[in-house]
Amino acid sequence: MTDIKYMILISRQGKVRLVRWYHTFTAKEESKMLKELAAIVLSRKARMCNILEYHDHKVVYKRYASLYFVCGINADSDNELLTLEIIHRFVEIMDTYFNNVCELDIIFNFAKAYDILNEMLMCDGSLVETSKQEIIKHITHMDAVETNDNLNRVFA
Amino acid sequence: MGSLKTFIKEVRSAKTLAEEKSIITKESAKIRTKLKDDHLSLEKRRKNIQKLLYLYILGEKTHFAQVECINLISSDDFQNKRLGYLAAVLLLDEQQEILTLLTNLLNNDLNHPNSYIVSMALSALGSLTSPELARDLYPDVEQIINRSTEPLLVKKALQCAARLVTRDAALLEIFYPYCKKVLDNHRLCTHGVLLGVLKLCQSIIEARNLYEFDNYLEILASLIDSMPEFFSLLQNLNSAVFNQEFDVNGTSDPFLQVELLRTLRMLFACAPEKTMQYVDKFGDLLTQLASIGDGSKNSAHAVAYECVRTIFELQLDQSLRVLGVNILGNFLSGKDSNTKYVALNTLSRVVPQEPRAVKKHRKFITKCLLDTDASIKVRSVELIFAILDETNVQELTNELISFLEISTEDDKDVVNYVVEHIMVVLESERYGEERWRLDMAIKVLELVGEYASYEKVNEVMIMINNARSIELKASLVLKILSTTIDAPADSKVSVENSGWKLVAIWCLGEYADLILGSSGLTEVKLTAWLANMNRMCYDEPRVTSFILSAALKLSCKIQSKSQIEDLRLLIAGHSKDTNLLLQTKSTQYGILFNQPTKSKKAILDAMPFFAKNVVEETASSAETRQPVKSPQAAKETNLLLDLFDTDPVPAAIPGGLGGQKPPLNSNGQKAAPHVPTDHEHVLQAADKIYDCNNLSVYGKVVFCAHQKAVIELNIQSKQKKIINLHTMAAVAKLQQLSMGTLSSGVIDPSGIAKQQLELTGSGKLKLRVKLSYTVDGAEVSEQFDHRFAESL
Repeated sequence: MTDIKYMILISRQGKVRLVRWYHTFTAKEESKMLKELAAIVLSRKARMCNILEYHDHKVVYKRYASLYFVCGINADSDNELLTLEIIHRFVEIMDTYFNNVCELDIIFNFAKAYDILNEMLMCDGSLVETSKQEIIKHITHMDAVETNDNLNRVFA
Repeated sequence: MGSLKTFIKEVRSAKTLAEEKSIITKESAKIRTKLKDDHLSLEKRRKNIQKLLYLYILGEKTHFAQVECINLISSDDFQNKRLGYLAAVLLLDEQQEILTLLTNLLNNDLNHPNSYIVSMALSALGSLTSPELARDLYPDVEQIINRSTEPLLVKKALQCAARLVTRDAALLEIFYPYCKKVLDNHRLCTHGVLLGVLKLCQSIIEARNLYEFDNYLEILASLIDSMPEFFSLLQNLNSAVFNQEFDVNGTSDPFLQVELLRTLRMLFACAPEKTMQYVDKFGDLLTQLASIGDGSKNSAHAVAYECVRTIFELQLDQSLRVLGVNILGNFLSGKDSNTKYVALNTLSRVVPQEPRAVKKHRKFITKCLLDTDASIKVRSVELIFAILDETNVQELTNELISFLEISTEDDKDVVNYVVEHIMVVLESERYGEERWRLDMAIKVLELVGEYASYEKVNEVMIMINNARSIELKASLVLKILSTTIDAPADSKVSVENSGWKLVAIWCLGEYADLILGSSGLTEVKLTAWLANMNRMCYDEPRVTSFILSAALKLSCKIQSKSQIEDLRLLIAGHSKDTNLLLQTKSTQYGILFNQPTKSKKAILDAMPFFAKNVVEETASSAETRQPVKSPQAAKETNLLLDLFDTDPVPAAIPGGLGGQKPPLNSNGQKAAPHVPTDHEHVLQAADKIYDCNNLSVYGKVVFCAHQKAVIELNIQSKQKKIINLHTMAAVAKLQQLSMGTLSSGVIDPSGIAKQQLELTGSGKLKLRVKLSYTVDGAEVSEQFDHRFAESL
């Protein structure tokens, strides 16, 4: 079963830009992991591979421009290569949605980034949808509903 | 109070961490006060929650706003609801009491006419599934799967159902029929919905041990009935016309393909008999899948990798396993380091299953040593040692050595691993002739001796010490010393290479006589070098201690009086050393130094053949001359190095030479000679295991459990006085032996000497004992074998 334990976006300066936990950790564990992961991932050289072992699980990360996308996955059962594709999918969808996404888009519109992520992964981090179009369609529809206060009129 | 945007800008404009912190704390306090105000408008409330989520990302405390999320969800306004649900999944977790407040809201929203609201409620339920929520809300989820025609809702409801099943296994009975039902409804089956079905199947399989009712087999059978459908889905994905929507670099929806493979794998694994009919079909499909797709893209690799994992997890037949290994071998030949990483990882796991197939790819495995990523190097090294055997040892060792040659400071861990493991290989007679093994071991030490542990350095010395032919020994020693002493300009030996220094110094002490004069290594040169080392390594006590021993040994191998005097001064120079051990050594050696040359020579001769704790019984035919070890040498492996610290013979020197004296224990105190007072008692329960004209040996197993045994030998002399008694012993291959001290080297007529032997390992307790002693002025040597009834 694909279960991504967390998805964290970290800037090159080590600032967290987005964080979503799919497994329950204590607040203490969470802040410790954020700190450690930022340090580990930022210190990796560009030509190193994108998979590393961390405590009891594996971390798959990928850098896109100034942001590192970091995912925790199960050490044995999860497919590391596929996790890279999931990260890439997330980036692609944001890229389409924000029209050439950059770090600032995510900082100022973190709620939208979360919305996209929530249409992709749910429950304990399992993938819900693989179609880009489908996800973008629903997000933009919801945006439309939001700007239109009258819910029923749109969905009548 | 400004908007979210202003707040974010403010935080970003902070110049220092402290400034940032103060902005955040101020804002956080403000939000807290605002949210306490019951009259705050919803609009403002929303703004505050938005800021709060930003604080959440920044890692600030947000617990005070948990109720606020629920207030927002209860709003009728879509915007508020959307934010409320987002805040709930981020800020709440499954353990909180507050979730009970959510039950009603979720119940309403799951039945809301607006499908986006239903969809958000499903997402929230999927993230926050307490067992209570699972029980209360499963009927709503079921309704959605059953009635809805919108893929958006069905896919999420299925994911939710899968999650509910993990919370309460009894629910799997409610949900399992929908796997088939949804699959049959082709119009509904988008890729998202299929993912949901597969997730539900997986959950049902995973929950099988928690499910308490006895109809599980029926449930499983219904899932198995869907297998042909899964097969054709997989096939269609790979043969249908190109679909841009799901294409990932030439692979059609790798996400769905991988989920299908996983689900099938789980079904095969949990019901091997019922799924037997599909095994061949599955094998064909895997072969097909593994060979399509663009070989250089990550997406294609992800699917092929999943196929390989499936092959090995299900232990499919050999041709498939070989195919799997070959796919992984292919991964290694590519450029992508992630693919190499997973390939090496998986290969290490499957070596035991398919060693031959893996060995075929050794070229690519060794090529990974050149990768820039340490984790790939480590894995490749691990794999190299896993596939190493008699046929490829030379090739692989050469590759490892070329890696060591180019290794840098960053490779420390990998180098460490290589050094520790390669020495084990080079020690073993299985892996080629002695000369080659020794050459390689010395080469490794020369390249990276600073990373070798003291034990490994020891082992190299033992290997040199045990080299069978004198010529080989001489040529090795000459090579080592001429590289070190003449230090050619291109020498790769680094100054920090203490492992190499130790070996060089030790060789000089032990074997200077073999090489004196060759290659311009004169007495003067050797002595000068040793003195120089003594100056340079003043802060390395271990090296210094080696230098002292080497100086002492060298002193009786050279003729020149002035050099001998230099050596004496070198030793004496440490008589006031701050290091107590060195000081003691210096003083003891000082005394030894002044002994008459003849007795000195006897003590300071090169070490005898040193059998490590394991003496290979099977190999004994090749080394009949010395198949057993001397008791002194057997006491501990590093005794060679600390010869004069614990060795009873030289320590006994002050009182006169010879082995007759009772040995000293390591504290330097005289061990009380054993006085055999109660022979009958001693020999009770001991079997007579050997008998000859001069003595009888009684053996008794004192203790035997947990892979450890203690054997006591009692050697009783008959009518004559026995002196210079030495015992040596060897044990079976799988065991290790450590010998205690002989209680006495002299046995009076009908007296007894005791010898304890400690064995660890496994197998039958077999012993080969060699006794040498002097009786009536004649030297006698006897050897016998004995097998005890006990075994480890």
